[in-house]
Amino acid sequence: MNIYNIKSSQLAEFFEQLIKSGKIVIAPVLKKSGKVFFEAVHSYDQVSTDYIQTGFSAKSVVFPKVEELFSFKKDDEGIEITNNLHTIPETVVWGLRPCDASAFNYLTEFFLKENPDTYFAVRKEKTTLIAISCAKADDACFCTSVELNPGSTSGSDMLLTTMGESVYVEVITEKGKAAVETAASLFTPGEEKSKEEFLAKVTSVFSMDEVKERIKTAYDSAEWKHASMGCFGCGACAFACPTCTCFDIQDEGTQDSGKRLRCWDACGFGLFTKHTSGHNPRTNQTERRRQRLMHKFKYSVENLGIVSCVGCGRCIRNCPAHLNIFENILSVTK
Amino acid sequence: MSEQFEPKIVAFVCNWCTYAGADLAGTSRTKYATNVSIIRFPCTGRIDFMLLMKAFENGADGIIVSGCHPNDCHYTSGNFHARRRWIVFRSLLDFMGFDTDRITFSWVSAAEGTKWAGLVNEVTEKIREKGPFTEFKKLDYSILEKIENDVVTE
Amino acid sequence: MTSLQNKVTELFENGTINLLIGFKEAIHKLPVPCFIDNVSQVEQLIFTPSCKGNLSVYLLKTEVKQAKKVGILANVATLRAIVQLVSENQLGDIEKTVITLDAKGELVVFATMDELEAYVQANFPDLSEEDKKLLDQLNAMSRTERWQYWTEQFTACVKCYACRAVCPMCYCSSCTVEGNQPQWIKVSSETTGNLEWHTMRAMHLGGRCINCGECGRICPVGIPVHMLTVKMNQDIEAEFGAKTGFSVKNGYALNSFKPGDKEQFIK
Repeated sequence: MNIYNIKSSQLAEFFEQLIKSGKIVIAPVLKKSGKVFFEAVHSYDQVSTDYIQTGFSAKSVVFPKVEELFSFKKDDEGIEITNNLHTIPETVVWGLRPCDASAFNYLTEFFLKENPDTYFAVRKEKTTLIAISCAKADDACFCTSVELNPGSTSGSDMLLTTMGESVYVEVITEKGKAAVETAASLFTPGEEKSKEEFLAKVTSVFSMDEVKERIKTAYDSAEWKHASMGCFGCGACAFACPTCTCFDIQDEGTQDSGKRLRCWDACGFGLFTKHTSGHNPRTNQTERRRQRLMHKFKYSVENLGIVSCVGCGRCIRNCPAHLNIFENILSVTK
Repeated sequence: MSEQFEPKIVAFVCNWCTYAGADLAGTSRTKYATNVSIIRFPCTGRIDFMLLMKAFENGADGIIVSGCHPNDCHYTSGNFHARRRWIVFRSLLDFMGFDTDRITFSWVSAAEGTKWAGLVNEVTEKIREKGPFTEFKKLDYSILEKIENDVVTE
Repeated sequence: MTSLQNKVTELFENGTINLLIGFKEAIHKLPVPCFIDNVSQVEQLIFTPSCKGNLSVYLLKTEVKQAKKVGILANVATLRAIVQLVSENQLGDIEKTVITLDAKGELVVFATMDELEAYVQANFPDLSEEDKKLLDQLNAMSRTERWQYWTEQFTACVKCYACRAVCPMCYCSSCTVEGNQPQWIKVSSETTGNLEWHTMRAMHLGGRCINCGECGRICPVGIPVHMLTVKMNQDIEAEFGAKTGFSVKNGYALNSFKPGDKEQFIK
């Protein structure tokens, strides 16, 4: 880990250098609706800096909402199959929160551990993550309950923490170093110091160890029904979540040309587990919501060794009924 | 020599009136624009508004929807239902900014072969002047194109 | 305990309801839906003019229907939804107790459906100021400006179907979106397909949507989806005289007709 400092007033210049270096820069942008979303930008003045959390996560950079796996074209000479892995550009994601950056660790385990996913691998390889630590948090944030914190460097290539007139820069990986090198003159080497006073205070709502233990016997809890009554079965939480990875494969096209797509899917949808036979192992919303929460706190631990929830609170903020994941976890593990 | 743009027109017609009218135009050896592909329905009441959208999605530049005159529907009231549906659909499309000029609705009876031919000619020329429906076709751009073409969303 | 909480306790104790769908205060000080099946949970109940959600959608939910005797806190938009749902024969399998807050802030518990209907007709909600403003803005745009506006919005749509999920009128057990023979709506989210999805949904709601605005309010990406049906219903009311959620004897504008229906665009 290398420490640098850069003047707050020069962040814009650093940003512009990243763009000039030819990379696509994805940053939080304030939309007409008042919400902030990650989007490709041309200049620093498009970037929003005054918000607590973006609407959706940045996972679409490595796991897009629609990914063309390959396309085919048939003519008299035969069938041509192509994919556009070679067109994926070098990308920088600017302004992730530490919870979001940590989520990329889970995504990497999920997509690359057992059956390495080429599409994810290529995209991840070309992506640099520049996170910004949190000076503010709200009631939906609970990163400290899932063993993270507003200044965590886990998962990011570089973490920026504003300390008044200057920005404390933690460079964690080679990619982070390469980012510094695009504007080397702006950075001065610095010394390690505490970020504590510049970080938001996020109250813990549960103990992760306790939850991990108690959730082992939570499957049959009568509380699930109550906790899931408000759930409508839409995909808002899953789509907003930085670690939800479920997808659907769809083929679109005609006999002569077409493409195979990988699209986001959500376990909350009624049809998610419906078999071709017509049987559906999860017939009601209680079972579906239970599956989602159990997956975050138990199944992903069993499968990949990581709790997949990062405490970003997006599921709560985006849910039409404002269902609360940590309140529900507490009530079923009581 | 420049190639004239030949619009693709899709016509959704009812079997008993407009289709028969189109047939009459044919048996009368009336010459008219060949740009139209006719799709036959038992009744205009059967025409789902989604079919119109699908036709545009699959390459149509213009659409004709035609059936029996009010009170002449072979199934008594199918065209009345269709009329209501079209009033609502057209207003929705217009509100979304869709170019409703590209859809022409008409009543053409089995005896109106000439009217049919005239309608097709008129619509073909109108769409030819408007040009291909690129506004609809160029909707799906990749993120790279978005940046290169400076498509900024607010 | 507030008078609301006392009333609800009474309803539980005399067996009128087994379940109450109401509001409670959650994080961010937001009123959110809550489900009470026991008097011990009554104290979290709130009901104020800031409780804007439309809870009627839960009346169609299996787990709620199982309770058979259901109480519901309803603002005017929700009352209108209940009238519309009754006119569509969707609430016959539960015994409902509907509670509203009148303009003076007094609790009203409806004894009969007629009473509810009369209340709705007397207090028929108008469009909110915000919606009126947006509608005026959209109507003032040129066609190409509107096209630009809506296609931008639909490009952002992620097909989470939250709009459909939260709508009390979207209760089809087998939605057109879920079929694949034929597949009207693609699974993937891209502009053309999203445009088709929203058009289809708006058309299926034409003459049925009760303008609660929930779909637009809860859209995770901030698309004012409700504007489509607001405009449609204005037109349907103007053309055919049908007001949704006004009477339990309402017909459905799109499966009825008058021989005298007029238009200017059919050649």
